[in-house]
Amino acid sequence: MPDYMKMSVPGKPEFVGTVRMTAASVASHTGFDIEAIEDIKVAVSEACNNTVVHACKSNVTEYSVEFESAETGLTITVSDEGTGYDVQTYEAPVIGELNEGGLGIFIIRALMDEVDITSKPGTGTNIRMTKYLAKAIA
Amino acid sequence: MTLSINANNNEVTGAWDFKLVGEIDLSNAHYFKQRLEAALSEKKQNIIVDLANLNYIDSTGLGVIISVYGSIKKDGYSIKLLNPRDNVKKLLNISGLDRILC
Repeated sequence: MPDYMKMSVPGKPEFVGTVRMTAASVASHTGFDIEAIEDIKVAVSEACNNTVVHACKSNVTEYSVEFESAETGLTITVSDEGTGYDVQTYEAPVIGELNEGGLGIFIIRALMDEVDITSKPGTGTNIRMTKYLAKAIA
Repeated sequence: MTLSINANNNEVTGAWDFKLVGEIDLSNAHYFKQRLEAALSEKKQNIIVDLANLNYIDSTGLGVIISVYGSIKKDGYSIKLLNPRDNVKKLLNISGLDRILC
């Protein structure tokens, strides 16, 4: 039975660090090593950054972060009820050309094993990411 | 998050020496950018950033470096990133910054 935790976070930059510290604690509890914990900290922060910068600059004052800690790994979902966007319009940065745009989502995909982003204009955005424990992959 | 920035005009090397201590994220990346831009407005020259005591950086901090590098590159100047920790080195690798600025 997975352990489940949900937090409601003010949509302000200074609270992203709070989510990051929480993610590190939950990842440690799940059984990840230091390198994987660092990966999870960055990935969850990038998802929160995305929400704070895009959703919370308009009408959204808070968003939610859910943690699902299981024997196989950790799933984190960052959700907002902002204006959303067309996921199909996302363009990954071209490595070597040093683009700023789209780097956060690119980093999440590089660090986590599974990433699912659902967003549509007017319905908010949901970033669900999973990292598996090495023993679950072996 | 706590971020301490020490900037010094190194007249021997002709570069700005930046030492970063702490973490750079969405809450303070603008401060990092302000410090870089303030130095460049005082004197435009190369920038050397010592990352030995930087514990954390994300895309907002990397974006500042990319932005400032882009603004000085056209004048023939550059940014050099030194001594990144393993977790920071990993992000520099993912973003491709290591191949250009390390």
